[in-house]
Amino acid sequence: MAHAKPLATLRSATGIPTGRLAVWWVLASEVVIFGGLLGSYLMHRIGHPEWAAAAAHTQTWIGAVNTFVLLTSSFTAVLAHQAAERGNGKEAAKLLGLTILGALTFLVIKSFEWANEISHGYTITANTFWSFYYTAAGLHALHVIAGGIIMGFVAFDAYRGRELHRVELIGIYWHFVDVVWIFLFPLLYIAK
Amino acid sequence: MSENKDIEQHPGDGHEGGHHHINYLGIYLALVVLFLISVAGPEVGELTGLRWITLVTAFGIAIVKANLVIQNFMHLKWEKRLMKWMLATSLILMFLMVAGISPDVMNHEGNNWENIAAKAAVERGVEAEVEEAEPVEVVAVGFSAEGAYRSICATCHGAEGMGDGPAGAALVPPPANFTDPAFWADRDRDRIVAVLENGAASVGGSSLMAAYGGLYTDDQISELADYVMAFAPGE
Repeated sequence: MAHAKPLATLRSATGIPTGRLAVWWVLASEVVIFGGLLGSYLMHRIGHPEWAAAAAHTQTWIGAVNTFVLLTSSFTAVLAHQAAERGNGKEAAKLLGLTILGALTFLVIKSFEWANEISHGYTITANTFWSFYYTAAGLHALHVIAGGIIMGFVAFDAYRGRELHRVELIGIYWHFVDVVWIFLFPLLYIAK
Repeated sequence: MSENKDIEQHPGDGHEGGHHHINYLGIYLALVVLFLISVAGPEVGELTGLRWITLVTAFGIAIVKANLVIQNFMHLKWEKRLMKWMLATSLILMFLMVAGISPDVMNHEGNNWENIAAKAAVERGVEAEVEEAEPVEVVAVGFSAEGAYRSICATCHGAEGMGDGPAGAALVPPPANFTDPAFWADRDRDRIVAVLENGAASVGGSSLMAAYGGLYTDDQISELADYVMAFAPGE
């Protein structure tokens, strides 16, 4: 590499690689962001039995397909990490590419789902249930978009055998996005 | 546990997890099976009439799935204890926050307080649900502007349109008084129709005045608007 790495990426007081520590640190704050949002939704949902009528309109099978898509993309992300551990950057990049494909599939399905709902008048201002629905799923979708973009950069480097440790880092983030959806799915589609 | 070998980040030498042989495919298949059970849960819950089955298969399985992903895909089980404490702190703070707020959100009244807007929302919603369940024809056949006004509008706006209905007493802003000349100073029939149809919030008014466009046909809304207009004091 042409230039020296910044000191912060080389030193470690905790014995945990700085990058990994940083990702977990981000996720610890995400726990509060998503936890607060989903917790608020749950409390309001319990206090408002009439939301059942609005919630009955979410389309379970679309949510189910998207759950499967994200679970599968998590699988390819962890396989990419495994490939990177073995020093196989090309394989890791290929698997990250599949994960990005999963992200895109998720977003395409979500946009059809939302377009359909909005065309039926279920907009973010329709009532408080739909406000929560679009805010929670929207914040999650933003994370999917951000993850997909970052994964593109990581895959670009990994293909050239550079910065292979980042494959694991983006993977940890991606699994978290999956975990958030694992909770959103029952909240918005199953036990509604 | 490794001491300082983690410092330089190279694949293969950095992560404890890399030395464990995890059956990723097995974990993935377990996740898919759990996912299928959680989708089937509501069907079973409905067949047996036991709602708790849906709740257990939905949230119980979500927790199991999340744990599988976190431990095996994110490798938290091989992470240093410091990291687990960091995440636990954040989880605990989140639960503390939710627990602290929950009595005020989940209840709609306490010893010295009452959440009128929330109660009204529940009532409106439950009413709408009942009406949704009835066949539309019944409403159409049985419709009269006076009857509709008495059963729906009068609860807040009062039988004489003076904004003094029993359910409206505590609302802020108070329900409109249709006999007040000031009320009619900046309102015409089109606006009344719009509010009946889409709710007052649609024209910048209070969101407590709900939309009734879904409940009545355009003709019925029009009759209802005439009925409301009749309260206006003559010049």
